[in-house]
This record gives sequence, C-alpha cells and structure tokens, in this order.
Amino acid sequence: MDLAYTPRQQAFRQEVREWLAAHVPAERLVTLERQDGFDQHVAWERELASGNWGMVTWPSEYGGRGLDLIEWLIFEEEYWAAGAPLRANQNGIFLLGPTIMEFGSDEQKARFLPPMARGEVIWAQAWSEPGAGSDMAAIKTTARRDGDHYVINGQKTWSSRASFADWGFGLFRTEEGSQRHKGLSFLLFDLNAPGITRRPIRQLHGDPGFAELFFDEVRVPVENRIAGEGEGWKVAMATAGFERGLMLRSPGRFQATAARLMALLREAADRASPGLREEVVRLWMGAQAYAYNTYQVAARIMAGGSIGAEASLNKIFWSELDRAMHRAAMHLLGPAAELQTLPDGRANEWLEGYIFSLSGPIYAGSNEIQRNITAERLLGLPRVGAG
Amino acid sequence: MDFGLPPESVELAEAVREYLAGTHGPDVLRRLDAGGNRDLRIWQGLVEMGLTGLLVPESEGGLGMTLLGGALIARECGRACLAEPLVDTALIAVPWQIARGETGDLAAIAAGEKLVALPHAANPWVADGEGDEFASVDPLRNLVAAPEDAGDDPLLLDLGALTSAAQLVGLAEAMLDQAVAYAQVREQFGHAIGGFQAIKHKLADVAVALEFVRPVLWRAAQAMDDGLASAPLHVSHAKYAATDAAYLAAESAIQVHGAMGYTYEVDLHFWMKRAWALAGAWGDRNFHYHRIEDAALGGAHPLGPQHTFA
Ligand SMILES: Cc1cc2nc3c(=O)[nH]c(=O)nc-3n(C[C@H](O)[C@H](O)[C@H](O)COP(=O)(O)OP(=O)(O)OC[C@H]3O[C@@H](n4cnc5c(N)ncnc54)[C@H](O)[C@@H]3O)c2cc1C
Repeated sequence: MDLAYTPRQQAFRQEVREWLAAHVPAERLVTLERQDGFDQHVAWERELASGNWGMVTWPSEYGGRGLDLIEWLIFEEEYWAAGAPLRANQNGIFLLGPTIMEFGSDEQKARFLPPMARGEVIWAQAWSEPGAGSDMAAIKTTARRDGDHYVINGQKTWSSRASFADWGFGLFRTEEGSQRHKGLSFLLFDLNAPGITRRPIRQLHGDPGFAELFFDEVRVPVENRIAGEGEGWKVAMATAGFERGLMLRSPGRFQATAARLMALLREAADRASPGLREEVVRLWMGAQAYAYNTYQVAARIMAGGSIGAEASLNKIFWSELDRAMHRAAMHLLGPAAELQTLPDGRANEWLEGYIFSLSGPIYAGSNEIQRNITAERLLGLPRVGAG
Repeated sequence: MDFGLPPESVELAEAVREYLAGTHGPDVLRRLDAGGNRDLRIWQGLVEMGLTGLLVPESEGGLGMTLLGGALIARECGRACLAEPLVDTALIAVPWQIARGETGDLAAIAAGEKLVALPHAANPWVADGEGDEFASVDPLRNLVAAPEDAGDDPLLLDLGALTSAAQLVGLAEAMLDQAVAYAQVREQFGHAIGGFQAIKHKLADVAVALEFVRPVLWRAAQAMDDGLASAPLHVSHAKYAATDAAYLAAESAIQVHGAMGYTYEVDLHFWMKRAWALAGAWGDRNFHYHRIEDAALGGAHPLGPQHTFA
C-alpha cells in the first residue's frame, strides 16, 4: 500500500486542473433533461473531446488516452472539484463503450467507438418495457430475422434522454417463442430509423428526461448486433455490471456534494440541530469511505482482479448516500428548500439534486434487487424464498 | 498510489485466521468462561506463530511489520473473539514503546515472556492489569481500575483506537457469518429463513456497512504508518464507523437468531459483548465524533474530491 501520488500522477492532476479551469463553462448549464440543456451538454462533450478528455482510460485508437484507473480517478476528482457539467455521453462512454470493447467485433469497435468518444453520437439505453422493469427477462419486444436485417416490433420505456439522443442500444427477443433469458439479442439502432416513435415522458421535476419508444417494423442491419444471436442476456449483464460498478458513479461526484453540504452546514450552523450536524459529518465520512473503497477496487483490478457481485454493494451505497446528503441539505435549507430559485438568485441545486437522488435507488437495478443479489451471491443465502 | 493490501500481510492474516479457527473456536470460549478466563496454552500458540513479535523490529527478534499489518491481525483477533491480551501487548504497547525509543522490553515481549497493559486517561480501567477488579459485560474481559495518574498520550490513544476498530471489524464480520449460517439452516413456514427477503435485506445491509468500513480502517492504519498529521482524524473515522458497523451486525445477528440469540447458550453473545466493550474503549463514539467534527468541519482538514488522501 502506498497512498502517495507519483510525481507523474501529480503532474497529470495539474494538467487536468488547468485545462478544466480554462474550459469549464462559467455559467451553470440548463438541465440535461431538456432539449436546450441537452444541446448545451452535448456541446460540452465536444469541447471535452477536443481536449482529448472524453474518456481518458480508452485506448488512443478509439479517442482515449490509454490511462490507468488511478489516472481516471484523478481526472474524475478534478472534474467534480471544478464543478464541471454532468455527462450527456454517460450511457455511451461508461456503459456501451466498455460493452463493445469486450464483446464487439473489430469493425464494430472502429465504427462506433471513435464517434462516441468525440461526443458526435449520443446513446440511449433501451432495456425496460412496461412489463419488464426489475424483471428484465420478461422483455417482449421482438426482433424478427429477415435476411440481413432484424425487424423490431414492440415498446421500450424509461429510456433516459432518448427524446434527444441519436442512437439506442437494447435487448430484443430474436427467437420467436423463447422464454426469459434465452433468445435475446443485444442490438444497436438509429433512433431516427423509420418506424420509431419517441414519446417524451415528463419526470418528477417536470422536464422530459426520458422517453417511451414505439417500434413498428423497424429494420436494423444484422451487423448492428453485439455478440451472437441469442447471447444478449450475457452481454446485458456485463453492461449492467459496468453501470453498478466502478465507472458510472465515480467518488468525486459524491465528495463534491459532501464538501458543498459541509459548507452549507457551516452557513446554517446556528440553526442545525445537533442530530443534523452529526448526520452531515457522517455523510462526509461516507463519501470518503466510498472514495477509499473505489481506490481499493481499482488496485484490485489493476493487479489482475475483477469486480463481480460486489458492484451491488457499491450501487446500494452511493445511491443511498447521495439521497441522504440531499435530504440533509433540504433540512438545512429549511423553508428555502421548496424554492426553485434561492433568495440570492441562484438556482436551488439542492432541490434539483434531491429530486434526482430519489431515482438512484431505482435505476441501474433497484436497491431491493441489489440487496437480493448481495444476500444470494455474496452471502450465499437461499435463492428462492417464500418472500 | 496503490490501495492494495500488502500480500505478505494478507497471507499472514489468513494463516492466523485459519489457526484461530482451528484452535480457538466457540468451545474454547465456553471453556474459558467456565473457569480461568486465560489459558497459557493459547498464549504459547500465539507466541509460536510470532504474533507477540509482530511489530517488534527484526533486530529484537520480531517480524518488524507495519501498523497496517498489525491492523490486519487485530481484525483476526476480533473475528476469533480472542481473549488473550495480544492486542494490548503486541499491537499497542510495542509500537508505543518503539515511538518513545524504549526498546528494553521488546525482545522479552517478542518471546512472549512479558505482557504489557497500558493505562490511558480515556479508559477508566485497564484490561488485564493488576488492581481492583471491575466486572465487564464481556465474561472474558478482565478489568481493573486505572491508576489515577494515567497519562493522556495522543499516540497511545490512536494506537488503542485503531486496533479496537480493527477488532470491531473482525467481530462484526464473524457475527454476520454466524447469522448467515443460522439463516441457512433454521426453517420456518417450510423454508430456510434466509430465503425470506426481510432477513436477506437485513444481512445485506450489514455486508454493505462492512464493505465501506474496511477501507477506512486500512487508510487509518496507513496514515499512522506514514505519520500523517491527519492520522488522528482517520483513526477516529475508523473507530466511529467500525463501532456503528459492529452494533448493526450485533443487532441484526441477534434478530436473525430469534430467541436463540437471546440465550447464553448460543455463541453469538461472546462476540456481541466484546463489541460493546471495545466500542467504548480508547475513546468512545462521542470522543471520536468530536475529533472528526473539529477537523473536518472546523476547517483544518481540506474537503473535496481533490483531497481524498489529505
Ligand atoms: C431516472 C431513471 C432513469 C432510467 N433510465 C433508463 C434507461 O435509460 N433505460 C432503461 O431501459 N431503463 C431506465 N430506467 C428504468 C429502470 O431500469 C427501472 O425503473 C428499474 O429497473 C425498475 O423497474 P420498474 O420501474 O419497472 O419497477 P418495478 O420492477 O415494478 O419495481 C417496483 C418496486 O418493486 C420492487 N421489486 C421488484 N421486484 C422485486 C423483487 N424481486 N424483490 C424485491 N423487491 C422487488 C422494486 O425494488 C421497486 O421498489 C430508468 C429509471 C429511472 C428512475
């Protein structure tokens, strides 16, 4: 164990810090969940890509810098410390990108990864259906083979930012009459393809952050399939692992929230109850613990190990930490918590953040499902219970 | 930057875990409880494994390990609910004496011939000392009144707090294991109770708590090894979080055991009681909370993602 950064790592941190200081927009962007805000965030993705900062761990041939996980963590720390925007590109770079690297053909890598890294093609995830939420194996939307095409019919839902995105990836039933995990394939499709109708859904805060997708005889070339026909479940599970695991929610994000929360506590020190005060300090400790844990997992992966069902522990921890931090902020704000704009003229980011934090324990596999996985796969409790 | 645990320390800890699992099971705890409380044969076994000399420099006949290596062993002592005063002697007194340049006793300690129980103002008693006895809820803990002139050396306190946190983690891990084992075999309504989600989720919460305490503990140990000025903050974080995890593990484990858990017959109680005892030792939860609050909220410690390892 060596908890000091090397001179090279320190120089890298400095380089990141300087670039961000010169490029992070001074004005807070409009929310990512609306067309105008989405466009601003995509412009930011392209700015990041112009500095070659889109995804630092990717090999340089796909638009990355070929850096290791420690350098990625340093980048993320500086990114969130600088107050840089949310990533419009997150479904692509954190989920689909690693999936294509693991399961895609060389042609698919060359075709899809560089435009993804450049922020030119923004991806939406299309797994959930009205009847298939936590129970994803209940997917019904079909993709019928017709020569060198699949023909998709059915409906997907809750697809984040699919109203604004360019392409989608999802799981479809390619084998007629197949059941559950069998007969599913992982397909990539152009959201502008004929036969696709997107219906925006307003989220809790009122903005159309996700969409329903209706497929009516949508033709998708066979070469858009990742891995073999019928192997979709295996691929999707790997993608889900990336989602819960190391990449999607780096600790920097939560440490930045924790630091802002501590600052808010200082401002409200004379009003905060002792209990709330201790809660805030405890949440700061939680954000630190999450960071240490991530560094430990990174060390394990760099030493040749991997992360499996432990990803469920992570997902439970960060999502509930995030919600608790924002809840504490709501209490610290007191009567101002309900305001969309605070008396000093700033947007009420805590309210926005609290609303978003409520979705953390639901998406990426609900926390109840993560607790089932933890109990069954990590602790070894019986799988089928009379719950 | 490498947060990986040193493989040689992990290997030693695994060997100690195996050794204690084989020689120091619940039957031993019950035997000690029935009479005597301490057993020279157990102590000799620890000495033969080199554990009394764990932190003693090689030149004095020890293994010369770091506090991080020591914390890994203290965790195993907790897991086995070890009653012999190994931690106080080998993991608290030894590094404290080394830091003060008092090397006279080290060879004797490494050889297992000398036990040291240091008083500290944070503790109103001394474990395994000499004097007026106090009864602890932990039947295997032997307390005596602390001398009135006990000092309040901060390094000694941190060593005690760090190793208590490590034991609390091991105790909590063992309690989780016991609850899981019981949930796999106890049947009600025609099913193993471990199949019920209320039980699964309760135990999953303990697993989550432990997953995010362990790295805090290793970070605190390494901060002490590195002599960081912020080490007391990290030690307090570890002690505070380990205390909460141990209480959570204990309460969850007894609930999963039902009335069985409320008996003196089931092994769980030894672990619970040790956890309650260590939670208040070497600075209680209030003490450590205030140290954290003072440093983190008071402004002395830099906050934010760019200061993860400050
Ligand atoms: C903000 C947000 C963004 C999203 N983005 C996308 C996206 O981009 N693409 C996409 O495909 N999907 C997306 N989703 C959908 C998400 O994946 C689903 O909401 C999630 O899988 C849960 O499914 P559900 O909503 O149908 O809830 P349900 O499955 O109906 O669950 C309802 C409740 O029952 C519980 N429950 C269900 N099964 C069990 C069980 N076996 N044991 C215990 N409890 C159980 C759940 O935990 C939950 O509390 C998003 C959701 C949100 C909130």
